[in-house]
Amino acid sequence: MKAYDYHKPHTVKEAIDIMGGLENAKYIAGGTDVMVLLRQGKINPANLVSLRNVAEISRIDTQNGIRIGAGVTHTQIANNEFIREHYSALADGAGVVGSKQIRNVATIGGNICNAAPSADTACPLLVLDAEAVIAGKSGERQVPVDDFIVGPSQVALEKGELVTGFVIPAFGDRTGSAYIKHARRLAMDLPILGIAVRATVKIGGAQAACRDAFKLTDVSDIVKRLEAEGLVLEDVRVAMSVVAPRPVRARKAEEAAKGKTISEKVLEELGEIAASESKPRDSFRGEAWYRRDMVKVLTKRALLKSIERMTGASSMVAPSRLW
Amino acid sequence: MENLLHVGKNVPRTAEIDKVTGHAVYIDEYKRPGMLYGKILYSQYAHARIKSINTEKAKKLPGVRAVITGYDIPDVRVGFLGDQTVLKRDIVRQFRDEVAAVAAITPEIAEDALKLIEVEYEPLPAIFDPIEAMKPDAALVHETDARGRPLRSNILPLPWKFSAGDVDKAREESTYVVKHDVTTPWINQCCMGTSGCVAEFDSNNNLTYCAQTNVIFGAKQRIATYLRNIGLKGKKIRVLNPVVGGSFGTKLDTDIYEFICIQLALKTRKPVKIRFTREEEFAALPPRQASRFTIEQGCDKEGKLTFRKVDAILDNGAYTSWGATTPSVMMLPISSMYRVPNVSFQATCVYTNNIYSQAMRGYGNPQAAFAVETSMDLLAEKAGIDPAEFRLINRNHPGDVTPMGLKITTCPLEECINTVKEKIKWDEKRGKKNGRGVGMASLIHVAGGARVYLSDGTGIRIKVNEDGEVDVLSGSTDQGQGSPTVIAQIIAEATGFRPEDVNIVFGDTALGLWDAGTHASRHTFVAGNAAVRAGELIKRQILELAVQHIPKLVKRSLKQQQKKNPDFVPPELDYTLIDSPDKLELKDRMIYPREAPDHPYFKTEVGKILTSGLHVGVGESKAVAAEVFWDPPTQMLNAEMKGNYSCTYAFGTAGVEVEVDKQTGEVKILKLVSAHDVGRAINPTLVKGQIYGAAYIGIGYGLTERVQVVDGKVVNANFRDYKILTANDNIPVEAVIIEDPDPAGPYGAKGIGEPGLVPTAPAIANAIYDAVGVWIKDLPITPEKVLAALKAQGQ
Amino acid sequence: MKKEITFTLNNEEVIVEVDPKWTLIHLLREVLELTGTKEGCGVGECGACTVIVDGEAVNSCLYPVMEVEGKTVATIEGVALPDGTLHPIQQAFIENNGVQCGYCTSGMIMSAKALLDKKSDPTEDEIRTGISGNICRCTGYVQIVESIQLAAERMKK
Ligand SMILES: Cc1cc2nc3c(=O)[nH]c(=O)nc-3n(C[C@H](O)[C@H](O)[C@H](O)COP(=O)(O)OP(=O)(O)OC[C@H]3O[C@@H](n4cnc5c(N)ncnc54)[C@H](O)[C@@H]3O)c2cc1C
Ligand code: FES
Ligand code: FES
Repeated sequence: MKAYDYHKPHTVKEAIDIMGGLENAKYIAGGTDVMVLLRQGKINPANLVSLRNVAEISRIDTQNGIRIGAGVTHTQIANNEFIREHYSALADGAGVVGSKQIRNVATIGGNICNAAPSADTACPLLVLDAEAVIAGKSGERQVPVDDFIVGPSQVALEKGELVTGFVIPAFGDRTGSAYIKHARRLAMDLPILGIAVRATVKIGGAQAACRDAFKLTDVSDIVKRLEAEGLVLEDVRVAMSVVAPRPVRARKAEEAAKGKTISEKVLEELGEIAASESKPRDSFRGEAWYRRDMVKVLTKRALLKSIERMTGASSMVAPSRLW
Repeated sequence: MENLLHVGKNVPRTAEIDKVTGHAVYIDEYKRPGMLYGKILYSQYAHARIKSINTEKAKKLPGVRAVITGYDIPDVRVGFLGDQTVLKRDIVRQFRDEVAAVAAITPEIAEDALKLIEVEYEPLPAIFDPIEAMKPDAALVHETDARGRPLRSNILPLPWKFSAGDVDKAREESTYVVKHDVTTPWINQCCMGTSGCVAEFDSNNNLTYCAQTNVIFGAKQRIATYLRNIGLKGKKIRVLNPVVGGSFGTKLDTDIYEFICIQLALKTRKPVKIRFTREEEFAALPPRQASRFTIEQGCDKEGKLTFRKVDAILDNGAYTSWGATTPSVMMLPISSMYRVPNVSFQATCVYTNNIYSQAMRGYGNPQAAFAVETSMDLLAEKAGIDPAEFRLINRNHPGDVTPMGLKITTCPLEECINTVKEKIKWDEKRGKKNGRGVGMASLIHVAGGARVYLSDGTGIRIKVNEDGEVDVLSGSTDQGQGSPTVIAQIIAEATGFRPEDVNIVFGDTALGLWDAGTHASRHTFVAGNAAVRAGELIKRQILELAVQHIPKLVKRSLKQQQKKNPDFVPPELDYTLIDSPDKLELKDRMIYPREAPDHPYFKTEVGKILTSGLHVGVGESKAVAAEVFWDPPTQMLNAEMKGNYSCTYAFGTAGVEVEVDKQTGEVKILKLVSAHDVGRAINPTLVKGQIYGAAYIGIGYGLTERVQVVDGKVVNANFRDYKILTANDNIPVEAVIIEDPDPAGPYGAKGIGEPGLVPTAPAIANAIYDAVGVWIKDLPITPEKVLAALKAQGQ
Repeated sequence: MKKEITFTLNNEEVIVEVDPKWTLIHLLREVLELTGTKEGCGVGECGACTVIVDGEAVNSCLYPVMEVEGKTVATIEGVALPDGTLHPIQQAFIENNGVQCGYCTSGMIMSAKALLDKKSDPTEDEIRTGISGNICRCTGYVQIVESIQLAAERMKK
């Protein structure tokens, strides 16, 4: 490993200034990606500029939606009651990153800026219409996360720029979201596939009736009941990871969902469309046909889980039912 | 046997307290003055000719003390079949072939130096599929054997062939016959402490070798042979163990890196350490071998097994280590799991350009058990008999002699099966095909040693000090199974001391007597037997001392009392109560007459006898010390692969309840019950630890683990891609200890190190079939495979 | 390029010269010779290197040494009392066979301690999540989880 110098700014401005004056420098936050890459010799920076001590990017602000600092750790996100309730998919995603020890230091900013095809908070941010707040020498700008993530390890940052946080709009109480990480183990694993869904719905009948639907055990009975209550999918987002070089939205599926009353057929169709939008590849980690198949299954499940949460039927803990 | 004070108790592992305080010294911490660090350069190809190696740049790197290639060391062959050299200089035959090595003052410099070594290769066609490699016109992995004689085939000259009875006739007479194929993957042992060693020569070229081996005397022999072959004849070798971070089979053979370390130490005249990175541990350490089986079984109308025919093909990889000998243990379940009169078994080991293999916990048994136990379910179904019932019909009985010649002594298999049935609620849950199901599988394993070498013995030395401490020198090793506690319990029981009095030194060839090694689940049984015998000798010696010294002590004390109190009338004591060692007992540090255990004058604390009688007087005086070398009365397998190679056998049954997600193919284990015949549990908590740990590895074998080798290269050489289960993958495991003390065991104990792993994977496969009606006969059972099978069935 | 850093290590202030490229585990093992912290992978995947920094369990193999400045670090060597009395977690591991080969044990105990320091009465799931980054090949985790439960009970009293 080559030697490098380590800088510890305390403000965003200081960080940008230091960065501006250095050659071959890299930001480091929790370091759970950077330190591994260094050890593997895959990067060889002469300078690391640490964001760990920049207090202003380590906060969570809950006015007008939410603003989550880039330096907030996955543990903080997963334990945050407000996020668990209103942005459940993000709590789901942060809660399943690596292990306890990893989550204690790894940040959401690092997860997104590292831009792995499998990043667990990427799909949640995509379905939550999050925007990255970027600071640089010339000031601040805001970019939708969907445009921010460009490709594997590629993000839309100009030289010296850093992400200070993510802003997410408020969605109101008819919205629920969920992220399902499909992996071979329950910890310390990369997803074979990740699916996030946000659903904003209109309930024809009573909210209570929809909530009761989730007391049923059979999934198709639940869907029939919701259908009978006239539950309409007003606005749906679907995002998938590990099925393309970067986490992507299933825009056709989102479009197709608009205004539809929920039914088994509709769910089936959404899954099919999302699957047709995925372009998974065979790798030693998983087979393409399987990933595509799982897009179908998990899109449905994530959608139902979102609706369940919207009705407040279950706690944050995923029920042992199949979603 | 009753009235045991220490055996059967959950004595805490206080002897290993350093492991919880961070003070235990593993190879990682083992340091010597001036020690250098060695690193190895591996091949870039699965098969290639080395055209040139240039080490000049590496040698010039500051801090580098030696760079060696095959041209710098004698061209001496090593390994089980002598089919490789330490550093390869002409041809590399697998990705992990060692091409060069560096010793430097830090591991980082050594690593940097590797990058400066230039090797030019000319790639050669490689062969990765053992079936292809077996074909007559296949390219040869080795052109010649160890002695330079030309080879005509990739099939190893290892005649694994067994036959008993008449299989063809039995097949004709069978009412039901099933036949199927199974395949099993490479499995990495995944010791949490990676491999490593430190070699150090003194000025006489005598070698002190600190290594993690679990066969210290075997390692010593192999190294002695190597040193002799490189011209260092008659040098003294001392093999020492540090604390070992897991073994699971990896410490059975002497690996190539160990010879490299020795060479670097010789070359630099400094102590040299090699310690593997995790990536090396995955890519350059031989795993459990991949295998394919074809198994055919039949039974009669009543469900009695008539025959079993098994053909196995083992991917040997490019060289040969212990992996190639695992058919000797595959034989166990194939010939002797359940009563089956006619058996045929053949195993073919085939050279390929894949990584080669060695031992892993279970030693061939998990692979063979997967074949046998899935076949049992298939056959039971065909015969229309409940699989548990089918197993009970065919179960082994005490007194059986199996077709292989195994003499079954104690055998609580019926109890194991019935316990599992009850705990898993077999009758209630079986046969629903509703996504949930139950399955079971059983095992037989050696549990009284395993005569794989001429000697299967273990020596134990005990000495008792005048302060009442019991020092034990054992030639065995401990890899974490808890021997310091278990052997201390046995010795305490046998000698009459307490476990906390016992201080055991393991793993030093200079101190211990010969031991065949801590493998084959043999340690508690064989070393325990030696310990009981040595302990009894010790006790006898102390009681002999007591016969002399108790009267002296008593008389002296009476005299003193008289002195103090002239009115004191000394009692009339019956000294014949203690005039022979046979009349005395020593228990829990107290010596007392058998006829009067609470005798107010004769009952004496052992320390008093020792102080009074040990190491006193001029001329020849008394010492309390004993040594016993014990070798179980067993046979080596003969040319027909028959023979009673263990003193007793362990049985066990695993029962699994699963839930299968039919849309994703995911399998969730709702419950695993693992009931094992342990003879007697010397320490139930520790026995359970063995069962839990082994069961977990078995679940990994069943569902998640495999070394993925693509064109000869390991592609998942890290813990993120090699899927060991984590604590979050919460699998409720219940370990049930079945006790049926074995007359040959130390206090009735049998070996239990490996069994827990063996039946788990087939029990899972059988449960999945019960849940959703598909057979996955290819391990691991991934969601992909389950879902594909469900789709193929139109589900 | 050495720099001086000051931090609290097992209740003692430490001032030490470090190279910015070091990780915390390097400082602990190679410089301060606190070798109870183990390196099982070096890349965050096994947990053998777990130590507690400012109350949180972290992988010391991924922790840049420069970030230790001013922080409070606890390693396995500081878990028992100075007189050698074992911490209830250590005691429970010894009694309940939570330790076999012991290689994962230091990290396992540190993860358990970080958890129990925060939450005296964790559920089994919380315990399992708390040690989800600590791989153990020997025990199947069962007796480790039991040991932590036993320690939690005793610590409440
Ligand atoms: C054992 C292990 C398991 C893991 N498991 C998972 C998993 O399950 N799911 C998953 O998604 N990830 C996983 N990861 C990857 C990693 O932990 C996450 O991506 C994490 O969120 C990265 O955050 P960090 O703060 O550690 O980033 P760092 O490593 O500090 O940085 C990552 C990248 O982002 C850049 N960066 C960081 N912050 C900023 C910023 N504010 N502005 C601009 N650039 C920035 C850095 O320059 C670097 O390029 C795992 C890693 C390890 C070691
Ligand atoms: S050594 Fe740090 S996690 Fe493995
Ligand atoms: S005790 Fe050996 S790895 Fe956990």
